[in-house]
Amino acid sequence: MSYFQYVALAYGVFFAVLAWDFAVPRLQVRRQLREVRKRLARARRQQAAAAVADDGELSR
Amino acid sequence: MFKGLAGWFHRLGSPAHFDAFAARWSPWCYLASLPLFAFGLWQALAVVPADYQQGDSFRILYIHVPSAWMSLFVFGLMAFYGAIALVWRIKLCEILAMACAPIGAAFTLITLLTGSIWGKPMWGTWWDWDPRLTTELILLFLYLGVMGLYGAIDDRRAAARAAALLSIVGVALLPIIRYSVVWWNSLHQGQTIRLFGESSMDGSMVLPLWLMVFATKFWFAGSLLSRARADNLRREAGKAWVRERVEKLS
Repeated sequence: MSYFQYVALAYGVFFAVLAWDFAVPRLQVRRQLREVRKRLARARRQQAAAAVADDGELSR
Repeated sequence: MFKGLAGWFHRLGSPAHFDAFAARWSPWCYLASLPLFAFGLWQALAVVPADYQQGDSFRILYIHVPSAWMSLFVFGLMAFYGAIALVWRIKLCEILAMACAPIGAAFTLITLLTGSIWGKPMWGTWWDWDPRLTTELILLFLYLGVMGLYGAIDDRRAAARAAALLSIVGVALLPIIRYSVVWWNSLHQGQTIRLFGESSMDGSMVLPLWLMVFATKFWFAGSLLSRARADNLRREAGKAWVRERVEKLS
């Protein structure tokens, strides 16, 4: 009575679900940090553009 | 000492401090679980002899039983955090309660699937509407309900409080699951492993089970910190400390 395929399937399910549980929060943290990074870059670009526009006003 | 501990808890309530704490300790919790998993699995699959009646299929219990215990433990913990969040409005407890739900759902799913896989050769069926199986399935639906409710309301804090309330109501299911094999004439086997008192399982088969139990506990701690950190970052995305942390990282 080996029941190898049942044991292998059960352990496969166990590790597949744990792998999902491991990967999802990591991806979520990465996505949150990437979004904040993008927002910071956008704010910097807007600041730079505003500074250029201010310079333009003065030179006219 | 008590004052120091209280101060530490107080600081941990700060989102910035919690982020640093979770980022630091989550990998260590995962790492701590790995040798326990490795040793436990080696014992479970290679060292422990096959059962005289069930053959090798009994080895499924080394993942089924710890997952089942975790499914109940995590729900209880979620309700505990939820109660604190409702009474004292502690934001971190809302986050921790909501982070418990997907992990608990994962362990409940493992319990149901591995039980079903074991049931096919032993009971001759993948599924039976047995009280233990049915109540465990309801527990999975409760976890999904908590996750769904938390995701359905835009206001994160209101969503967490509503979901926390559902988790507190759901706690009533835990003793029903626990004693379902005692209260009803059930196909599911009765209690064989006891925390206190003598187990009806042979001593040589118990060690890998405890190793797997501790491994799943450490895994849960790692996952909880990781998921809570993600939710904390999502809620605090506009705050200065997040910007500072991102700037430091990049």
